[in-house]
Amino acid sequence: MGGVAGIGGVLNAIGFASPAKGVTDAAGVVEEAAPAKGNAFTQMLEGLQAAQDNADNLAVAAATGNLTDIHNYTIAATEAQLMTDLTVAIRNRAVEAFNEIMRMQP
Amino acid sequence: MSGIESMFPVFQIAGSALTTNRIWMNAIADNIANINNVRPMSEAAYQERFVVAQELPSRPGDPVGIGGGVAPVAVEYGDPEGMVVYDPQHPYADENGLVRRPAVNLADQMANLILAQRAYQLNLAVVDRARDSYLQALQINGR
Repeated sequence: MGGVAGIGGVLNAIGFASPAKGVTDAAGVVEEAAPAKGNAFTQMLEGLQAAQDNADNLAVAAATGNLTDIHNYTIAATEAQLMTDLTVAIRNRAVEAFNEIMRMQP
Repeated sequence: MSGIESMFPVFQIAGSALTTNRIWMNAIADNIANINNVRPMSEAAYQERFVVAQELPSRPGDPVGIGGGVAPVAVEYGDPEGMVVYDPQHPYADENGLVRRPAVNLADQMANLILAQRAYQLNLAVVDRARDSYLQALQINGR
């Protein structure tokens, strides 16, 4: 079932704990399956924040006339836009996968 | 440029080429601006500026064979003797009536200017097409 594994991968990436992991441990001890620290989505958000900060700083420099290479600003704005679109796409897929699971009737 | 690690190396590579070609255009503009800069025989003539470019090492995430673009590393200077011209009316003329004009060929400079302009536009096209490619990739299964 590649689809289920894929949904599980997306949910793990954004920090949703898999309930099966907590239940099936030995000696009846239920482990708390905590989300991984610094998971992929958090790293992506940090990278996105850095890219947008960089684009904003270059925009200020371009507006005040301190920017010698004008293409630096347009390239930074392009990268920030692409990373934002990528982050939004990941979020949409994760939310859709979560809703898909929640819609499952018992 | 920026010190952050970019997720899209193609933009950094094209950006390095844009910077280098901008500097090359500045050097060509300098040469053309000084094309009538006459010096007396006692001094060196205006020397033509050449920008020395060097390829950058590969960026992390790319195979080693693919470099990281280009960077201007040095400026070379042309002939200091220049063109020695007989012009006795010139205020800089020495006792033989000679002055130094820069050994800058205007046709060469204009050809280089067109090369620099085309290279700049081609790298802008690289940025444009890469951006369109990635945006289309994000539309697979997208909103």
